[in-house]
This record gives sequence, structure tokens and C-alpha cells, in this order.
Amino acid sequence: VENTTEKTPKRTVRVRLALFFAVVGPGIITAMVDNDAGGVTTYSIAGASFGYSLIWALIPITIALIVVQEMASRLGVYTGKGLADLIREKWGIRVTFYLMIALLVVNFANTLAEFAGWAASLELFGISRYVSVPIGAFVVWIMVARGNYKVVEKLFLIASTIYITYILSGWMAGPDWGQALKEIVVPPVAGQPTAYWITLVGVIGTTIAPWMQFYQQSSIVEKGIKPREYKLAAIDTIIGCIAAVIVATFITVACAATLHKAGINIQFAEQAAKALEPLAGRYASIFFAIGLANASLFAASILPLSTAYTVAEGFGWESGVSKTRKQAPEFHGIYTGMIVVAAAIILIPGVPLIPVIFGSQVMNGVLMPITAYFALQLVNDRKLIGDAVNSKRYNVLAWACVGFGGLGSAIMVTSMLFPSLLG
Amino acid sequence: MIYLTRMLGKPVVDAVGETIGAVSDIAITSGEVFPRVTALAFSGPDKTPFMLSWRKFVEDFDGERVVLSAARPDLRFSYLQPDEVLLHQDLLNKQIVDTQGMKIVRVNDLKLSESRGQLRLLGAEVGTRGLLRGVSPLAERVVVAVAKLLGTDVPEEIIAWNYMELLEKDLSAVKLSVTHKRLHELHPADAADIIEQLTPAQRAKVFEHLDADRVAETISEMNDEMQADVVEDLSEELASDVLEAMDPDDAADIVGDLPYDKAETLLRLMGVKEARQVRKLLGYKEKTAGGIMTPEVTTVTADTTVQDVIEHLRTGAAENENIYYIYVVGPKNALEGVISLRDLIVSPPATKVADIVERDLITVGPDDDQEQVADTMSKYDLLALPVVDEAGRLVGMVTVDDALDVLDEEAAEDLALATGTDPDASAVREWVGRSWNWMIAWAVSGVALAGLLRFFWGRPALFTVSAIFVPLVLRLSEEIASHSLAHMIDTAGGEGARVFLRRFAVDLVAGACLGVASGLVALGLLQAMHEPMAVSAALSLAVGTTVLALAFVGAVLPPLLRRPTGRWRASSTLVTALMGAGGVLLFMYTTVILQNAIGK
Repeated sequence: VENTTEKTPKRTVRVRLALFFAVVGPGIITAMVDNDAGGVTTYSIAGASFGYSLIWALIPITIALIVVQEMASRLGVYTGKGLADLIREKWGIRVTFYLMIALLVVNFANTLAEFAGWAASLELFGISRYVSVPIGAFVVWIMVARGNYKVVEKLFLIASTIYITYILSGWMAGPDWGQALKEIVVPPVAGQPTAYWITLVGVIGTTIAPWMQFYQQSSIVEKGIKPREYKLAAIDTIIGCIAAVIVATFITVACAATLHKAGINIQFAEQAAKALEPLAGRYASIFFAIGLANASLFAASILPLSTAYTVAEGFGWESGVSKTRKQAPEFHGIYTGMIVVAAAIILIPGVPLIPVIFGSQVMNGVLMPITAYFALQLVNDRKLIGDAVNSKRYNVLAWACVGFGGLGSAIMVTSMLFPSLLG
Repeated sequence: MIYLTRMLGKPVVDAVGETIGAVSDIAITSGEVFPRVTALAFSGPDKTPFMLSWRKFVEDFDGERVVLSAARPDLRFSYLQPDEVLLHQDLLNKQIVDTQGMKIVRVNDLKLSESRGQLRLLGAEVGTRGLLRGVSPLAERVVVAVAKLLGTDVPEEIIAWNYMELLEKDLSAVKLSVTHKRLHELHPADAADIIEQLTPAQRAKVFEHLDADRVAETISEMNDEMQADVVEDLSEELASDVLEAMDPDDAADIVGDLPYDKAETLLRLMGVKEARQVRKLLGYKEKTAGGIMTPEVTTVTADTTVQDVIEHLRTGAAENENIYYIYVVGPKNALEGVISLRDLIVSPPATKVADIVERDLITVGPDDDQEQVADTMSKYDLLALPVVDEAGRLVGMVTVDDALDVLDEEAAEDLALATGTDPDASAVREWVGRSWNWMIAWAVSGVALAGLLRFFWGRPALFTVSAIFVPLVLRLSEEIASHSLAHMIDTAGGEGARVFLRRFAVDLVAGACLGVASGLVALGLLQAMHEPMAVSAALSLAVGTTVLALAFVGAVLPPLLRRPTGRWRASSTLVTALMGAGGVLLFMYTTVILQNAIGK
């Protein structure tokens, strides 16, 4: 006998949570990968060199990050298409071609940086890079090549929780919270050296990276999130961005409380992990190193895949991990090629890791305002997304954020390429 | 040849030689294989859009400019007609489905040709040539020239209009030629391959234009992992209609994969009869006869006449998945026998079913392993097998299409293993191939664990290090056990001494290879952990010998466990568990001996 007592479905807490978790993922994962090898390095340097005095900047950066990522996810939800797809359809082949080449180069540099981070962090545990890098490359390759989106997403969400090690590490460093809070509320910007401003720009460049817009939009499309679920997707983005910046804050705090106090300067995140041991204890150091290893591997698995999807999407090549090498040669070529070449370069004896990380951040900085500009044009296209276009007020904020990022990037790149200009 | 990308932006000149705008688009009418260009769109000063009839006003296009046949004041502007498609707006840079090549492609350019004063669309260029031309015509020429030097050719990839299915613009309002191939006219299996590649939003658009039956057929042909996702994305109304239209066994598979709340909602929206069938099927375990069977079975009683049975098939049972077998049941649905469609057709109409029924039946139970069911079907060449519960009641039947899916799924793994008659170590490849992702995960966590151990407690004892290899030994014994079990299934009828010896030799060779391979893996890993050579050598030796010993046991098991009746003395779970436990014990024992030998 059929169940005749039809219950009206009540929106219990459980149902609401289930709804949220059906949408959650893209925002949190993207934001978490943001704290990759390059990110950790930049935040560590900021903390070690300037103590708590740069943390205030993370607040406006969070807002800018949320705005940029929110626009990308809105485009994904309302058009059901990726960013490369939309750029190709609006601006044609030529613009897409140059943008894709740029993205390929920049993302490759970032992948290199991730493998550098992975190699350096495992060397802290006494594992040679000639063991860790091939294994890491293989794990990354197999995980994505063999898994489907749902499985991979779950793995990534689990990996996201490992970032908590940074918070532990920051806590163990025994920071002076009163001092930190004071310098957040009243930023001590007066009379800072040029290096302070350059580091500030570096923090902006590493936090708002161009690949993130492409990746988040594609994963939203892949997940099939619909306009009526958009609010949840926006919450996902906001939570992700805030969580990512909290992690960044703790990384900075950990280095500020110890390295800065002891007057130790660093150039790479792995040095921060090493230097933490005598200052904050063994566990703080281990947590920091685990965090770096996790972040590097996590990002190293997302960047090549995201690039392969984006480029294939822009050029109209067949793509997808379920396609064979014969069916989708370009997709597999890009994906596998990036991993193999990046791993191989890191294994060249005596290859300098620090310039690699440094270079990848510069390139991120150059490309970010360009992709953000495209996204802004698209998100104001009424033909494309109808009433979901930016409001006037939001546009002012968005242009300010892109301008803020663009100006920052311009300063950073200039100072890196012509160090003499800014003294 | 004329390409759209070369045409866009070229000046439009009127009859007196005055430039009045630049080409922004051209329109075709869609009635033919090579459709005629019917309208020219151009933007005048201040970007004002204009449209002109191509036939009435365009005199010539010489590659550099469009010349009109009338002066500016004499032009009569027109509007886009409902049956016109704009090449730039609707096609260029867009994704389309190539319904001949059965894939999704992006339009890089559109190729046109002029013949007898008419401009016609030859097709969409979707290959590298179009891409390069779009970047720069020089790039195209350079690449083609270089390719020529290398002795190859970069061909154009052109898709004709009748093989294009537009994803953006719905052409159902447009009058299409009869030859135009639409996505939903493809075989469901082909359509499924294409739809799998679309994004959820595009998929939803395609499904909007199909009826529930068609959607059901297409979804049934999709990857198992994707089906539930796709159904989840449909509107609830369409989803429940689709599930209703599917074979109940397919519908149950999908409903089983949906989140609980969604599944309940859809079941409630479905028809009472279909929902009940699906609910019943959900009670059976996956990968058993119950999990793949359909409850839609045509049944009759023994006292019916052939005439009545045929009438029953025509009216009541026509939508059942399989009507080649009609089962004869007694009271309480107890299965008594079977008649085939053939029996029915060749018998005189007045014959009683009781006179033609075949009572000697091959049946399976709902909890039987699906692989066994499929093997039984292929052994007796049956199109369907009845599924009967302990009380002898007919609960459903497994049809040949579902059995084929099972063979697809499992034959790839198991039967390749079971027929391991080729001594070129294909069995080893198979083992490694099946377990490598797992092996990598294990190796990584092993190295990480060892690193952490050393970090906290200094160099661990040999026995502690050996614990890292327990999962490997367990996993390998499981593999060897399943290999051995596959043999049992394969040789259920017994095997001759020669066949046995041959297989035994092959298994031992494979076991030796696997032993050496796993020993080497262990050695490499231990070296990576910076263990001393003596420890590394001892442990990898222990791993290798254990694997070899397990392979030997696995090779002699099938004849030992087989009873003359073809049944086995032990269940597969028991064999696997015993092999695992034995393997670990053996490994630990070998380790202790070797530890004493090297004195660490």
C-alpha cells in the first residue's frame, strides 16, 4: 500500500545543510589553493620582515578577492559556461589565443613553484627530492586522471582542512595578540621603507591570482549550480575567501612572532618552517612544513588540470579526464606535459628554487588585472546574464578592486624588473 | 574560397562608390545542404545596424569589399527573418555538435563559396587551419608551409550545415531541410556520448526539446556514474517522468544513487506501479541478480491457450522489456516452466500452454553474484533468466542486455585474469594495472609515516618498519586470491591434467615476477626512507618470498577446493580472508627469522 500521508517537506536544519553542501566546494577549494607555495612564501616573508605591520592589508585584500571571485562564479552560474568559453565567444579567436598562451605560461610557472614547495617541504622530513617529486607528480597525475569530479572534490575538501596546521603553528608561535590587534586597527604605515610597499604589493598579487577565476568558474559550471542556488554559491565563495585569508593571517603571525622578533630574514617558506623549530618548538615547525607540503601538492594537482580545461575550452578541443589520449590529445598533452616538465625542471641538480617562485608571482601579477578586466566586461553584459549584471554601486567597488590589484601589480612588476627605480 | 572571418569588417560600398558601412554579419536560410546567403548585415556610421537582402542589393564581393547594386537612397532595409541564421552571431566561435563525427566542436571559421552569382555556405571550419587563420593568416601560411616541408598536410576540417546541431540557438522554430541531422535523431547511445560532454546547462537545454521517453533512452545509455547526476539536474516533473519511462532495473540503479530526499520526492511523483517496482528492486544488493533484474515479467498460467497468451502479449504486456520468454506460474507466483515466443508462434492457437511448456528450467536466486548470472546465460545461450526466491516464487528476470553490461564491467577485469593462458606475464601487468593507484597511495603514506616516525622517535626498529608492508602483503594476497577464484569460476567444470600443469606453470611464473617486483618496490621504498642496506634487503626479501608463496597456494587452490559436482568447498570471502591472514602471518614470520639472521 502506498504511503498516503503526504508530508510537506519541511526545511529542517539537516535539509538546509544538505542543500548547502550540494553547492559548496568550488569557492572553498579555489580559495584554499590560493595559499599555495608562492602564497605561503609571500606571507612568511611579510611576517618575518615586517612583523604584524602588514596584516591590516589583508582586510581590503579579502574584499577584493571576494568581489573578483564572486563575479566569476556569478558568470558561471548564470551562463553555464567557463570564462575562456565566454571570452572566446565575445572577443573571438585572436584575443583568446594570446590570453591562453599567457595563461599557459603563467600557470606553468606556478606549477613549477608548487613542485619547488613540495620538494623543499619534504626535504625537511629527510626525504630527497629525487624521491618526493616523481612520487608527487605521479600522485597528482593519477588522482585527477583517474578520478571523477565528485571524488576529486571530496579529496580536495579533505585537503582543505589540513590548512588548519597553519593555524596551530601560528598559535604555538605564541604571538603577541595585543600588538597584532593594535597594528591591524591602526596600520603603522608612516615612515615605512620601500621594501614594505613592495611586499604589500606582493601579498596582493599572490592572493588574487588569475587562474583562480578560471578554475572557480569552471568548477561551478561542472557542478551545474543553478541561478536559484546562487546565494549558496556566493556564501561558498565568501566563506572560502575569508578562511583563506585567516590562514594567510596565521602564517604571517607565526613568522612575525618568531622570525621577525629574532631578526631572521627568509626567502622561501621552507626556511620559515626550519627557522620556527628553535623559536616556537618542534611541533610548530612540523605543522608548518606539513601545511606547505599539502598546499603545494594540492595546488600542483589543480593548476595543470585547470589550465588544460581552460585552453581546450577556449580553442574548442575535446577535453575531459574521461577522454582517451587519442580522443583528446591536446587536453592530455597540456595536462601531462605541465606536470612532467615542471617535475623534471625541479629535478635538475642545482636549479634555483627561489627565482622560480619569485617569477611565478610576478607573472600572476601581470595577468590578474587583464583577466579581471575581461570578467568585469562580461559581468556587465546584459545580453549574457540579464538582470544578474552588476549594480552601479557594485561596479564602482569592482572597478576599484581591479584598479587596486592592477596598480599593485604594476608597482610590483616594475620594482622587480627595475629594482633601482624604487630604490 | 571566401571565409567569414576575412569578410567581417570589410567596407560596404554602394553603386555610386560611396562607403556606407562595414560588414558585421551575414545570414543564411536553412533549407538546403549548402544554404544560400540571403542577407547582409552591416554597421553604418555610429554603429547603427542595417540589414539588406543579399539577392536584391548585393552586386559582388571581391574579397576586399561588398559592392551594392543600388545607391544609398534606393536601398530598402529589411529585418532578420525567423528562418534565417546569422553566421557570426549564431555560429562563429560557438560550440556545435558535429552529428556526423559525433563530437562537440568549436566553430573557428565559416567557409563560403560563390557559384553562379550566389554565395553559399560550404560548412564550418573546426580544425587547426581555422584556428590559425583566426590568429593571423600569416600563421596559417607558415604552418602549412612547414608541414609541407615535413611531408604532411594540415587539412581543413569542414562540417556541412546538415551535420551541424546548434547548441545555442534552438533550430526547431526554423524550417530545416529533411537531411538536417538533429541530436535527438541519433541513436540514443550516440546521443548519450555527446550529451555526456556537455555542461549541465547545455544538457538541460537539449533535454528540454526531447520527450521523456527519448530522455530516458538517452540517459540509460550514459555512464553509470553520470546517470544520477543528470537525473538530479532535471526538473522534478521531467525526472519522475523519465524514471517512469525507463526499465525499472535501470531506474532503480539511478534512484539508488540519488540523495535520500530527492529519491523520495521523485518516487512519490512517479506512477504508483512503477514506483512500487523500483522500491522493490532497491531492496536487492548491487552486483547480484536482484540488483540487475527487471520485475517486468510476462506470466501466464498453464491452462491458458496459446491464442490467449498472444492476445495478452499484444494488449497488456507490450511494454515489457523482454517478451521472448513467457513464464508459466502456478498459485502464489510459483514458477512452473517457460514457453518461448517461438513456441507460441509455431503452435496452433487452441493448444494449451501446459502442452508446450518446458519444465526443465535454469534459474538463479536474487542474491546470486551478477557475474555468475551472466556466465550462466552465456553458457546456455539464453536471452533471459528467471530469478526465483527461496520459496520458488518468480520475482523477476535478468535480460541479456543487462548481462552484457555485467560482462563488460567484470570480464575486462576478471575474465582476462582467469584466461591468463599467455605466459608473457600479462597476469602481472593485470595485477599491477588494477592495484597501482592503491600502491601509490600506500607508498606515499609509507614514506610519510617513516619520515614522521624518524622525526619524533629516531630510527625505528626493523619490526616497526615491517609494519608498513603489511597493507601491501594484504592487498597482494587479496589479488592472488581473486585471481585464484577467477580460475575456479572459469574452470567450474574441471580441467585436465595438462591444462592444470600449464596454468600452474603460468601462475608460478607470474607469481615469481610479482614477488620480484614487489621486493624491488619494497627495496626502493626502504632506500628512500634511508634504511640501512641490511634492513632493506631483509625486508624486501621477506615481501618477495611471501608473495611467491602466496602465488603457489593460489595456483594449487582451484583443484583442491573443487568438488566433483562443480561446486566449491569454500566461499570466495573465506578464501580471500584466509589468504590475507595467512599472507600477513607468513610475512611476519619471515621477518622475524630474517631479523634474527642479521641481528637487528
